[in-house]
Amino acid sequence: MTRGMTFRLLVGLLVTAAALALAGRRLHVLYRLGRLAQPVAPGRTTGAAAVLRAEVVEVLGQRRLLRWTLPGLAHLLTFWGFLLLGLTIVEGYGALFVRDFALPVVGRQAWLGALEDTVALLTLASVVVFAAIRLRHAPAREGRRSRFFGSHLDGAWLILFMITNVVWTLLLYRGAQVNTGYFPFRSGAYASEAVARLLEPLGERGNTVVEHVGVVLAVTVVMVFLVLVVHSKHLHIGAAVANVALARRPRALGALQPVRSGGREVDFEDPGEDDLMGVGKVEDLTWKGLLDLASCTECGRCQSQCPAWNTGKPLSPKLFVMGLRDHALAKAPYLLAADDAARAALPDAARAEGERPLVGTAQENGVIDPDVLWSCTTCGACVEQCPVDIEHVDHVVDLRRHQMLMESAFPEEAGIMLRNLEHAGDPWGRGGGHRLEWAEPLPFEVRVLGDDGADRLPDDVEYLFWVGCAGALDDAAQRTTRAVATLLHEAGVSFMTLGGAETCTGDAARRAGNEFLFRMLAQANVETLDAVGARRIVVTCAHCFNALANEYPQVGGHYEVVHHTQLLADLVASGRLTPVTPVETTLTYHDACYLGRHNRIFAPPRELLGAVPGVRLAEPPRTRERSFCCGAGGARMWMDETIGTRIGHERARELLELSPDVVTAACPFCILMLGDGVAAHLGPEPARPVEVTDVAEILLRSVLPARAAEPAPEPAEPAEPAGGTTP
Amino acid sequence: MHVVVLVKHVPEPTATWSFADDLTLDRAAVEGRLSELDEYAVEQAVRLVESGLDARVTYLTLGPAKAVEGLRKALSMGGDDGVHVVDPAVHGSDALATSLVLAKALQHIGFDLVLAGMASTDAEMSVVPAMLAERLGVPQVTFGGDLAVDAAAGTVTVHRDGDDATEEVVAALPAVVSLTDRTGQPRYPSFKAIMAGKKKPVQTLTLADLGVAPEQVGAAAAGVVVRSVSVRPPKQAGQVVVDDGTAAAVVADFLVARGFA
Ligand code: SF4
Ligand code: SF4
Repeated sequence: MTRGMTFRLLVGLLVTAAALALAGRRLHVLYRLGRLAQPVAPGRTTGAAAVLRAEVVEVLGQRRLLRWTLPGLAHLLTFWGFLLLGLTIVEGYGALFVRDFALPVVGRQAWLGALEDTVALLTLASVVVFAAIRLRHAPAREGRRSRFFGSHLDGAWLILFMITNVVWTLLLYRGAQVNTGYFPFRSGAYASEAVARLLEPLGERGNTVVEHVGVVLAVTVVMVFLVLVVHSKHLHIGAAVANVALARRPRALGALQPVRSGGREVDFEDPGEDDLMGVGKVEDLTWKGLLDLASCTECGRCQSQCPAWNTGKPLSPKLFVMGLRDHALAKAPYLLAADDAARAALPDAARAEGERPLVGTAQENGVIDPDVLWSCTTCGACVEQCPVDIEHVDHVVDLRRHQMLMESAFPEEAGIMLRNLEHAGDPWGRGGGHRLEWAEPLPFEVRVLGDDGADRLPDDVEYLFWVGCAGALDDAAQRTTRAVATLLHEAGVSFMTLGGAETCTGDAARRAGNEFLFRMLAQANVETLDAVGARRIVVTCAHCFNALANEYPQVGGHYEVVHHTQLLADLVASGRLTPVTPVETTLTYHDACYLGRHNRIFAPPRELLGAVPGVRLAEPPRTRERSFCCGAGGARMWMDETIGTRIGHERARELLELSPDVVTAACPFCILMLGDGVAAHLGPEPARPVEVTDVAEILLRSVLPARAAEPAPEPAEPAEPAGGTTP
Repeated sequence: MHVVVLVKHVPEPTATWSFADDLTLDRAAVEGRLSELDEYAVEQAVRLVESGLDARVTYLTLGPAKAVEGLRKALSMGGDDGVHVVDPAVHGSDALATSLVLAKALQHIGFDLVLAGMASTDAEMSVVPAMLAERLGVPQVTFGGDLAVDAAAGTVTVHRDGDDATEEVVAALPAVVSLTDRTGQPRYPSFKAIMAGKKKPVQTLTLADLGVAPEQVGAAAAGVVVRSVSVRPPKQAGQVVVDDGTAAAVVADFLVARGFA
């Protein structure tokens, strides 16, 4: 063996051994941390077919990233570049041992050489694009608007630098190889040949040295890269693949997960002594939760869509995930210490990290500020956007669960709602006696369970009409309830309501973290529904819909649940309802988070509006999957919104820019929030009033002959606080 | 120091109440709860301990079997134990009889400070604390807006908000104090606390245990007799007048028809 080859082999292998040791140690720590975490729910790791499909679409095809055209394309290139560059790494290692090493079979074919060189150049081009994006959207320039705000910027630049290093060292030794005659490709590798021409003046000896040093440099750069990757956010390169495979299918939206401890569901009637109630310490996350944290690329796509962040609140889903991850890593030495003595021997910083409260204010040295935790509307925009399937909403609620169930620490106003639910069965605290008032103005009789003395739904009843608390007790929502009842009546659909026997579905309680109260309400409702023999249920509230359809199966209630927009769209399509009277208006439609993103009901409300003659539908810029929350979800409806601007006002501003006559939605809470926002924007004496109403109301105007529908209400008064609760 | 808080399990105020054949409230037919006004007294007792007072907090209730739920709720907010006086003879008792039983029970379990809400949300009499103090021969301070206990001096200091002035009243212990709903928002117990509350001891006592004869209590011994109960008809929705030029006349006719002219 020549001196040069000995140098190559020795240094190359030494560097590799050192790097693998460093990286291995780190991976071992991460593995032990994962072992310490909670087990995942049974079934999470099965479903291989779905996993495979997801991997193909999400990882190889990078479907979600492609939604953001330019950066998505750049990432796709880098990603595929890395897969192909993997081949050159094999070649590089081969060259440590055999000077003219070539891959088996195809290793000397011109097209491979051309492909490798092309990929190398494209990777370099992507680096330039990334750098440009980072410079253009630098937080220093754009502040909070930048999706990189709060990301680890130095680390990201370091990685871009390292990618550049990978490419130039590769081309350097390949160029030298061409000159010394040890290059596996006789033709095709045009970039390497170009470099070779540059190196030619160095002569035979010079090129030999460059080749030896170049190979060692290339291997070293790759190894340093490996060490950096396992120590930085670029861990996502590996973690994301696993994370996508293990993600909730089809997406981590809709139903919340039951409270689990040790992988098993907690029995709230008889909980175990040491059962965990949500996440109170970072190690209370499941290992899949920790994998979520490791998978975050700090891309900020979630942050850019988050209604809380966009209205000046401290919550950013990205910073939430990063905060948890940085804390988990910093706490690792504390958690992995063998015993108390070892823990006491840790450096002060590590011990202090171990003692930080997971949720706490800055003074309390908390990891997640309560204002961050309670700002989330659980709108799911983050989950929808995240390219690596991180389950933000589930984590937010898990943290809230611990605060609620173990610490009883939550915004005081939410307590009013919780007490009202407990005592009166509705968030306003009105009581079941008021649940039929909505029907009084109707010219026809609304059938109520028990009216005819029977305690089960009669056979002729097609649908149980679940009115919901807002639908029964809120003025604007009562109009919707009446509109839907009238339409069903007109269409000859026989329906019945539960009257005072209905109670809140528990959606807000659950999203505030009060799983105990949710279970109580849900179980009571399931008992009622089963006792009356309910099978098909129609609801007007997106939150009731989500609870009844997606969450009640968790407590043993299985029903066929339809949203009123779905049922009405069917009735129109089948000719049982015929919109005839033209409704000459320009209107816009706001997708409720819990109807759209969480439940994929995008088309029926639009079909309804499309069927009404005269209606011109103007879509807002943020629509469907990207719809911007009204601010009411996640129990936020029942809390004061004192930080930043109001989410509902921001959404109203966006909708009003379309100059609509009517703002429509299909959820009573959206209508409440948007009504407030629209009124605030227009002021007390608007030149052109804008009505905020449910799509059913528009349909009703068209189905009934002109003038027969209820007169439009006075435009909403502003200033009603979002809570709207009476203590 | 032994702090005893009087608590009452009352029918849910937002529920629809009905009356039994003997004209008493049909408690079995409605959901019950710890009287909201009693929660303020419970909260103050728990805060006394949290602020360092070395005291045992006992909750005392008088009522049917279901009333134990009120004790459990109070115990989930804090405190140490509960005492439930339950006896079929008590059914239909008036305030005088109630105060008699409670006084005997307090003498039975011992006390330094008795706290109560300002009224129950069902009968809304507000008189039991005063009657109790009389029967026990101890000072009474009613409608307190706050509460401070000086264990060393053996006194309780209370501020009473009147229409024109705020009085500061000091009483020597033992004493009976009733507290208003301005004393501070009662806490919302965590699930953990609810579970802990379920495990705290509750002692059951009968009239015989307290040396009260059945003839001294119940409807028969009551000083007043309820002759009849008529349920108030539900409120009618108001009439909405849309002004198409005739509104003034319609409103005037409406008022005249109801004798306002
Ligand atoms: S669910 Fe919505 S409000 Fe909550 S963090 Fe995600 S984007 Fe923000
Ligand atoms: S959570 Fe997902 S969307 Fe948000 S920054 Fe991380 S990877 Fe990007």
